Amino acid sequence: MIPASFDYIAAKTLDEAISLLARHKDDAKLLAGGHSLLPAMKLRLMQPKVLIDLGRIKDLSYIKEEGGQIRIGAMTTHFQVETSDLLRRACPLLPETASHLGDMQVRNKGTIGGSLVHSDPAADWPAAILALDAELVARGAKGDRTIKAADFFVDMLTTALEPGEILREIRIPSGKGKPAQAYVKVRHPASGFAVVGVAVNLSIEGGKCQSAAVGITGVAPKAYRASKVESALKGSALDAKTLSAASAHAADGVDVNADLYASAEYRKQLAAVYTRRALETAISRAK
Amino acid sequence: MAEKTVGKPIKRTEDPRLIQGLAHYVDDIRLPDTLHAMFVRSIYAHARIKSIDTTAALKLPGVVAVYTGKDTQKIGPVPCGAALPDLKVPDHRVLATNKVYWVGHPVAVVVAENKFAARDGVDAVQVDYEELPVVMDEEKAADAKSPVIHEQFGTNIAYKLTAGEGDIEAALKSADKVVKQKIQHKRLAPVAMEPRGVLARYYPGEQELTLWTSTQIPHLARTQLAIMLGMPENKLRLIAPEVGGGFGSKLNVYAEEAVLGWISMQTGRPVKWIETRRENLQATIHGRGQVGYVEIGCKKDGTITGLRYNVFADMGSYFQLLTPAIPTLTGLMLSGCYKIPAIQINVTATFTNKMSTDAYRGAGRPEATYVVERAVDLVAAELGMDPVEVRRKNFPQPDEFPFKTATGLFYDSGNYQAALDKAMKMVDYAKLREEQKKARKEGRLMGIGVSTYVEICALGPSAAMPAGGWESATVRIEPTGKVTILTGASPHGQGEETAFAQIAADELGVSVNDSTVIHGDTAVVQYGIGTFGSRALVVGGTAVYMAIQKLKEKAGKIAAHLLQCEATVFADGQFCEAAARAKGASASVPEPMVPVGQAPAAALHEPKPGGKTITLQEIALAAHLAKNLPPDMEPGLSATSFYEPKNFTFPFGTHIAVVEIDKETGEIHFQRYVAVDDCGKQINPMLVHGQVHGGICQSFGQALYEEVVYDENGQLVTGTLMDYALPRAAMLPHFELDSTETPSPVNPLGAKGVGEAGTIGATPAVVSAIVDALSIYGVRHIDMPIKPETVWQILRRNSAA
Amino acid sequence: MKIDGTHKIDAPREQIFDLLTNPLLLQKCIPGCEKMDNTAENQYAARLSVGVGPIKGVFNATVNLTELRRPDHYALTMEGKGQAGFVKGSGVLDFADDGGATMVHFTGDVNVGGLIASVGQRMIQSVGKMMAERFFVALENEAKAQQKASQAALLSDPPSSL
Repeated sequence: MIPASFDYIAAKTLDEAISLLARHKDDAKLLAGGHSLLPAMKLRLMQPKVLIDLGRIKDLSYIKEEGGQIRIGAMTTHFQVETSDLLRRACPLLPETASHLGDMQVRNKGTIGGSLVHSDPAADWPAAILALDAELVARGAKGDRTIKAADFFVDMLTTALEPGEILREIRIPSGKGKPAQAYVKVRHPASGFAVVGVAVNLSIEGGKCQSAAVGITGVAPKAYRASKVESALKGSALDAKTLSAASAHAADGVDVNADLYASAEYRKQLAAVYTRRALETAISRAK
Repeated sequence: MAEKTVGKPIKRTEDPRLIQGLAHYVDDIRLPDTLHAMFVRSIYAHARIKSIDTTAALKLPGVVAVYTGKDTQKIGPVPCGAALPDLKVPDHRVLATNKVYWVGHPVAVVVAENKFAARDGVDAVQVDYEELPVVMDEEKAADAKSPVIHEQFGTNIAYKLTAGEGDIEAALKSADKVVKQKIQHKRLAPVAMEPRGVLARYYPGEQELTLWTSTQIPHLARTQLAIMLGMPENKLRLIAPEVGGGFGSKLNVYAEEAVLGWISMQTGRPVKWIETRRENLQATIHGRGQVGYVEIGCKKDGTITGLRYNVFADMGSYFQLLTPAIPTLTGLMLSGCYKIPAIQINVTATFTNKMSTDAYRGAGRPEATYVVERAVDLVAAELGMDPVEVRRKNFPQPDEFPFKTATGLFYDSGNYQAALDKAMKMVDYAKLREEQKKARKEGRLMGIGVSTYVEICALGPSAAMPAGGWESATVRIEPTGKVTILTGASPHGQGEETAFAQIAADELGVSVNDSTVIHGDTAVVQYGIGTFGSRALVVGGTAVYMAIQKLKEKAGKIAAHLLQCEATVFADGQFCEAAARAKGASASVPEPMVPVGQAPAAALHEPKPGGKTITLQEIALAAHLAKNLPPDMEPGLSATSFYEPKNFTFPFGTHIAVVEIDKETGEIHFQRYVAVDDCGKQINPMLVHGQVHGGICQSFGQALYEEVVYDENGQLVTGTLMDYALPRAAMLPHFELDSTETPSPVNPLGAKGVGEAGTIGATPAVVSAIVDALSIYGVRHIDMPIKPETVWQILRRNSAA
Repeated sequence: MKIDGTHKIDAPREQIFDLLTNPLLLQKCIPGCEKMDNTAENQYAARLSVGVGPIKGVFNATVNLTELRRPDHYALTMEGKGQAGFVKGSGVLDFADDGGATMVHFTGDVNVGGLIASVGQRMIQSVGKMMAERFFVALENEAKAQQKASQAALLSDPPSSL
């Protein structure tokens, strides 16, 4: 468990990190919380020549409300999200998702931005970020670029970030009314990653579903929006029958993962059951 | 009267240093000028080594040497201590020479100035292999058409063994019903929290080698390693410092230990190797690994007539210290806690292209208990009886002990009914069955699993052990009156430092903190056997007790001499002048069967009213000053005991699990978990609880999560803890523990041992509960680990049908 | 690990078959293939830099083609070795005409060993599928590019017999 040798540079500002990244290009990896990167380096699966540490950049860690949005700095730790009063009130899906993530040590060190750009197919954040229609703000040599969550996750371990770009902020539209949100998860007994993770964000008015967003992780090579579930819910009265019927589409149109712990057909079943349970929980919370 | 400490839940004296990070494990020992070693390991399960090119590695800065199998020919083979008739023993060299036999097989070792250079060196060694066909399945390995792993044997069968008593054919023929079942015991990784590690330092002038190694058996390892290294045993000092768990995996002698010693002798410098977790999963022994077929015969009323178990035992490709012996322990315990007139085990032990199996917590006995308990449940299902009733029907009664089994054992003492009754009362069994009926009417899947187990502990009488079954202790009272206990058992997390100090406290009238327990250093401690097989307290603790009795005898003589009286009585740390009641009586080592703290000699005297007294501390000082001792008495106050147990002990108990299954996902939710364990007299109930908790955790691991998986090409796919699932606190239910106490007549402590009880008693209860929940579908057995998907597939099949 | 699948590629069988037996074009289609040399008849040596996101490994591979029956069928075996372990695969490709397009059906067995086998369990199946997907997408693009090129050639350089 000893990585190949590498150089370490602690960037003091975001601009410095961007210029370092421009200089070292593919040889460099950005170090955020390090909880995916360092294990991969210790196994020598990744052998970057340079590590650019973002940990000393102070203005990348915050949670605030601004311009009708909740804005979260990319270097905000899972623990900070989990315990944020602002988020617990305005967007409880995020603290709930954080509480399912890894273990205490991981939550204390790992960051929301680091996890998102790693785009692990079984990470928790992508499901929530998709369900919240978040925007991700990347900074590169040419300045800021905003990427929609739906466009951000490109493939397994691959995002829409261009070489030289650094994710700096996550923006969540401020919701109206009592949030109807939930994140439920089947943990892999060894890794703690999501065998299935379902994030639900509904808006309900007069007992009718105005909008439905369902993000699912762990099931496919990348997290996705379960659009068939969403369309089956929209406009409905969210009765038990509708929920069951809608949830059955949780894994429609995706190539379902299989591993030692869960076959594709079992994952598909879990996706359907846990989607329904997430919906039930979210609806009960809005009441 | 000083308060007795034995029987009290005293907090572990070990814990402050452990939880503060102040303990010293092998890796915490830092010597100047230390080299670091790392092993190049095979990535193939079976291959011929065509060439090994070390030139690139040797050119790397910091790399000092690279050794291959050719260089280490002088190191003797890795030992196997098990002797069985017609056993085929492969020549297990420390590094692979011509062929590699499993993924993780060490091929070369890189030695460097630091571990970073050593790691780079490992990547730079080029090994060219020619792949060979692999043998992965222990049952198919026995097939004549299977490729042969060790060509010199012409077969993969390491040995065949038939054991048992009674006419099994007649027993099965006379049965009203015979139930058969194939049962798998998957391979498990012990995963001690501290991986293995070795630090070797050779002193060329003294020609002495010191090895710090994370082991459960420092003395046995020293003997074996001295033989492997061809050096006098008294020139090898072996130190087991703090050892972070073993579970049997460090009851062994490993190639790496010898190689590190040898490197230090070659280089004249200290050299260290600390196992990585990946190496730990690849190249530290695995446990279990059996697939068998059980047949059990019964009468209509549930009386068992006979049991046969035909088993294929997976040895791996080589033998480690006890590899071939483990299935024989399975054979010994096939009677469970039942009267079974005829028992037969037929073992076919086979070589496969995997790491060796060996002792893992329970070592062969969990397999036996699981087979017997599953079989008894199958009888109950076949006859439509309550599983508890079948058990009661076949229990030996308390007055039938010592109870002889058809496997050739004599169970020392037992009251199986009492433990069962207590556990049933704790769960309110009758009410639970009512609840289950109700749940079933409501369409819910509730299950109740009962396991009544007995295990064989306190290994063991030397005649039945490969290398001695006794244990040693030296107890010294230092001039200041402090007590030093040197134990040959080598505890590594069990809490014996506390338990032994409790025994000394009660026997010597000192406080627990007045004693220090020293273990693990062969240069300091007299020869001993080690900690495994639930023996450290029962055999090692008895040795401490025996040594104290010898010590007290001598102290009593000094006391009488100093008090100028005929005899003394010892109580509360003081010797009092005694009023002699029985003439000629003197202190002697008590007969067995006497509970601790009640030496029979004490009953022969009583304090003389107003008599003179002298403290143990005063006697200790006098013994060391030696100015006024009885004529011809040696100075000092120290005694050693080598205690040889007359029999094993047989702890037992009842575990009950209650589950509810999620019909949509197959997920298993535990409603209750109750365990009543009887380990005889308890020295420290908190230690007992700790052992039971840990054991049950590992049982849950086996039943629900753990499985070492090699793919069909021999690749280890559960290669990290991201894939090999260990049970964690949050995955486990609350354990409700209680006990009954049936003292063992075998030793004066009355203790039976408890280190492995949890891993033996719990797995059948967990599996049984799940099977019971699914029994409405006709399910009678499910192989472990029972994952939610396994259950879901059963549910799906049945809902489709 | 067994893999199989069917891909429809909008190009005639002969063209697909030829593409799949042409080292230069294969190099373009195989994900991460940096080099592909023809070492003997139907035998190639390749250097692959295979990556999933930031995780990359370099493999030196040999590829053998057998059972060549243009344009219906061929079989191949592949073995790559690198620091991250080894990958071995064998497969059979069948080409069926589907109204001018080609249905490529493949079945195969892929085995990995070493580091990637022991730490990659969680993702290995998905990675396998992803690589196959990338390969066939590249193949289709290559076929289209070839068609365009030949059409362009036809237009710019009419046959002299006309």
